[in-house]
Amino acid sequence: MDAREFSLEEEYGYNRAGPVRWILSHALRYPGLPILLFLAAAGNNAAFSYVQVFVGRSFDLITHPGWTQAALLAAALSITAAAASQGLTGLMRNYVAEFIAQLVERDSRHELYVSLLGKSQTFHGRQRIGDIMARATNDVHNLNFMFSPGVMLIADSLFNLLIPIILIGTIQPELLLVPLVFLVLLVITIRDYARRLNPISIAMREQFGVMNAGLAEAIAGIEVVKANVQERHEWSKFTQNARIYRDYFVRHGEIQALYWPMLVFSLAWAVGLFHALLIWQAGRISLGQVVTFVGLMGALRFPTFISLFSFDLVQLGIASARRILELINARTELDENIGGISQPIRGGVTFDHVRFSYSGKQVLRDVSFNALPGETIAIVGQTGSGKTSLTRLINRIYDVEAGRVLVDGIDVREWSMESLRSQVSTIEQDIFLYSGTIAENISFGRENATQAMIEEAAREAQADEFIRSFSMGYQTEIGERGVTLSGGQRQRIAIARAFLTDPRILILDDSTSAIDSATEDQIQRAMRRISRQRTTFLITHRLSQIRWADRILVLRRGEVVDQGAHHELLTRSRDYRRIFARYEKDEGRAPGGLAAGTAGAD
Amino acid sequence: MGFILDGLESESYDREYRDRDLFARILSYFRPFSRKVVLVAGVLALNSIAGSGAPIAISRALDLASTNPTLLTLAQVSALVLILGAIAWVSNLVHQWVSARVVGDVVLKLREDALQATLGHDISFYEEHPSGKIVSRVTSDTQDFSDVVTLVVSLLSQILLVGFLAVWLVRINAALTGLLLVMAPFAIVVALSFRRVARRVTQNARRVTAKINAQIQESISGITVAKAFRKERSIYNTFDQNNRQAFRVGLRRGLTLNTIFPIMGLSSGVGVAVLMYAGALRVETGGLSPGDWYLFMQAVGYFWFPLMSIASFWSQFQDGLSAAERVFALIDAGPVVVQTASEPVERLAGGIEFRNMRFSYTETEVVLPDYSLSIRPGETLALVGHTGAGKSSVASLIARFYEFQGGELLIDGRDIRRFNLAEYRRHLGLVPQDPFLFSGSVGDNVRYARLDASDDEVRRAAMHIGGGDWLEDLPEGLETQAGERGSSLSMGQRQLVALARVLLKDPTILILDEATASVDPFTEAQIQEGLREIMRDRTSVIIAHRLWTVQRADRIVVMDHGRIIAEGTHDSLLAQGGHYAELYNTYFRHQSLEYIESVGG
Repeated sequence: MDAREFSLEEEYGYNRAGPVRWILSHALRYPGLPILLFLAAAGNNAAFSYVQVFVGRSFDLITHPGWTQAALLAAALSITAAAASQGLTGLMRNYVAEFIAQLVERDSRHELYVSLLGKSQTFHGRQRIGDIMARATNDVHNLNFMFSPGVMLIADSLFNLLIPIILIGTIQPELLLVPLVFLVLLVITIRDYARRLNPISIAMREQFGVMNAGLAEAIAGIEVVKANVQERHEWSKFTQNARIYRDYFVRHGEIQALYWPMLVFSLAWAVGLFHALLIWQAGRISLGQVVTFVGLMGALRFPTFISLFSFDLVQLGIASARRILELINARTELDENIGGISQPIRGGVTFDHVRFSYSGKQVLRDVSFNALPGETIAIVGQTGSGKTSLTRLINRIYDVEAGRVLVDGIDVREWSMESLRSQVSTIEQDIFLYSGTIAENISFGRENATQAMIEEAAREAQADEFIRSFSMGYQTEIGERGVTLSGGQRQRIAIARAFLTDPRILILDDSTSAIDSATEDQIQRAMRRISRQRTTFLITHRLSQIRWADRILVLRRGEVVDQGAHHELLTRSRDYRRIFARYEKDEGRAPGGLAAGTAGAD
Repeated sequence: MGFILDGLESESYDREYRDRDLFARILSYFRPFSRKVVLVAGVLALNSIAGSGAPIAISRALDLASTNPTLLTLAQVSALVLILGAIAWVSNLVHQWVSARVVGDVVLKLREDALQATLGHDISFYEEHPSGKIVSRVTSDTQDFSDVVTLVVSLLSQILLVGFLAVWLVRINAALTGLLLVMAPFAIVVALSFRRVARRVTQNARRVTAKINAQIQESISGITVAKAFRKERSIYNTFDQNNRQAFRVGLRRGLTLNTIFPIMGLSSGVGVAVLMYAGALRVETGGLSPGDWYLFMQAVGYFWFPLMSIASFWSQFQDGLSAAERVFALIDAGPVVVQTASEPVERLAGGIEFRNMRFSYTETEVVLPDYSLSIRPGETLALVGHTGAGKSSVASLIARFYEFQGGELLIDGRDIRRFNLAEYRRHLGLVPQDPFLFSGSVGDNVRYARLDASDDEVRRAAMHIGGGDWLEDLPEGLETQAGERGSSLSMGQRQLVALARVLLKDPTILILDEATASVDPFTEAQIQEGLREIMRDRTSVIIAHRLWTVQRADRIVVMDHGRIIAEGTHDSLLAQGGHYAELYNTYFRHQSLEYIESVGG
């Protein structure tokens, strides 16, 4: 069953079986519109073709002496009427296409969003924001372009070819010979053209990207370039890329120059003229009808250019649809375990020979430790050692590959996910705050928080002071329209938020740097306060936090190379000692400096 | 062909160069290709003649029809249409073929020139201009600039075509031609006013869309938090509102832009009707043959689109000139750091002396009013002070990244302004706060200082940093890919690479700007061991943020508002109290063991 955590009362059911079907189900949601689009496109081309018909008839009219003013006027008016219909239907076609395009964009973005809201926290814990964003903005926008101008131009081209040919047929079926042969040749030459052009277009675009990226890198690192006197080297690198681009550009232009379809058209037009004149000479059609025929064949010129560009847009749209559907249809394999254990957590966490991989890479190899309720565990290690993944196994963003993770002695897979997650909180590295007031952000997780509770939490989190330093205090707006907060300030607001939600297990991913000792004092205090009375996992660089944790886990390449309290590790672990090494007596001063042997000031 | 919907997005740009000068300069890039340009011009003229010839030939054919022509005559006329069509096609082919080459070569040359000039600029230029803008000037604006010439050429060919046709038509019937041409200003006015409206709508829409996208982005970024706190409904409501607004804005813009072509089609059709009527009257009086009557009606179609393009020509021409100006401004930017000579710099001992230096970064702010400092060869000197005290400026001046306005800067007693800069910089090692790495392997990055270094030398340099343990922590050692801007490595690892790079270079003078961001304790330990290594045997000027650094420095210089207010060792300065003690309390205290011990309990 597709478990969802959020849904709307009346949701339109789109067909999610495949990208094309999905796009169609969107477009057909308002069935009137696509029908209107095709009718308008057909009408538009019919009107344009009829202008040619009326011109031809006028030709016949004036070449036969004895015509009346009234007849002439009628002819002129009919041309005007046809032109007017052409304009109106053209407008209608464009407007309808634009409507469909904007509706599809809006609806698909809406559908994606609702689906994302319905996905579990597991899903979101794994997703990269940038990736979701790209799909919600770019891919959704490509769907818009697919319809306007994409499908609109295709519909137009279709009728642009069909209707003149039908009309030519109604004048005199034999006239169809040349246009139909032309059509066949057109399709062949256009396909050949696309086959030759596409690879070069793609290569050219890619090369532009390469050239751009290479240059961007050199400019971004200009200090390094200048400091190492590598200006010439960078220039050569760039010009090499630029030359390759030039070659593609020239090749692209050459292929475009050799545009056979246009030659085929000119030839067909001339041959068609001859053919029509022959038939006229044989008395089967009037000269005016020759005029009409020439005009109708002339109309066939337009679709030859536009068609390629519009197919590209459609292809792009389908590719984007596929990416969006991927997200919408994604399911998380973890089952919510609704019938699982649901009880207050005391806070004991045990890892038992845990192994975990992610995207084919081994992240945790054999991790075992035991944390008692209320303990503060510091996790230290280099980037990529597995610290964050370890914490994500506790609230089941991921599941282990081998071994077990236990909370209060019970395997996390036996807990009800709802119960587990509501009692385990994470303060991430990148703290997300809404544009809203500070008070709103602090009370985000607690519906009925009073101002007093909010301020109390802020005080504990050492945030009260700086909040009051703003003119609007707790009502200060943050975000784009408001103040920008420093990393340390955001962290303390997140900590205040955590005070209000009061989790039993807290995971604190602390990576803000210390700029000044005063702020550092406050952050230390806030972190110590929040760690009390709950089991806290601290991913941190701060030696002051590591030193005083109840237990320290030293991770290296996915393994716990050591664990224990500070003094134990100092005696046992060489790596750990190295961290505090600067506090030992100084060895080896630089020669040429002052007298050696000055011990550390403290 | 100038396209009416092009270039609506470009923002206004204050122009300083004159149009004439710009255009002349652009032409100078085309001068080496003058023969090809003439060929293109000729071929375009041919194309215009052939292009205008086709409808004329058809009208001749129609008139011929009333004279009871033979089969041969009909064939001949059709053949004429065919030949004209073929000529038009071939001339277009030649035009595009040759133009592609010319444009490609011109743009390439322009890019090369632009980059060469850019790389020669000093650091102050790069700080004034965001790197993204510089890049787009070299890659995109150069392309736009070549489009100006293409535009002008294409416009000329269209004017030629319209001109030929008009001349032919006037010879047939001046009055009708007059009628035809009367519609021209109307077409131009329609096109111009449309462009004005369209431009405004587009730019408005762009502003609003950017805002809405930002809101949608926030909404999506916040989903995780919303879910953690079970607040899905409320952020859904915000999203829905923003999504609907985006729909309305997008629709308004799309509908506006999509109006022009149907209207153009309509007006062209009405023009045909008018000409049809007026022409028919003349046919009746015998003043006009039916063939020529048909020619006039065809002419409407041939005139209309070029006229609309001509209307958009001026603003697109201006846009193209703006692009050209941006490129030339890039090239012309004068150097600020000017060397007065180019003396060779073979060996340096590493003594640095500032004598009464005066340095202003901008015209109003004086950073160093009167700075004097003498650094002995091999000394380890730490600079401390609040932000804005002038520490980075001192370091950048030693690297000759900026020009100073008064006083002297002597390296081993020689005036730094007289040095050959490239040679001088080979004696410098720079480690900035957040080191920049190129995409490529870690080994490549270490080697960047000396591209001719052997693999052994690279490895040796890397192993000297913290015993080489850091290499083991990299997934593929020296072969590990650094990723774009070094993003595959952590900041601490990037610092280690920068240290190895400096070690390989083995410069006489080291300039180090210590990072303030925190790094995991293991990497920090490796970095400190690395620092110990590279500070040996060379003059080291360090902008210090580490307690460890100030403790080991031979001398600490305390700066405030561009002046040196105290000097000494860490212990002596601390004993004195004063500004240093305050700095210690603010930036260094929390790094001390004392502090770490005091936090607990």
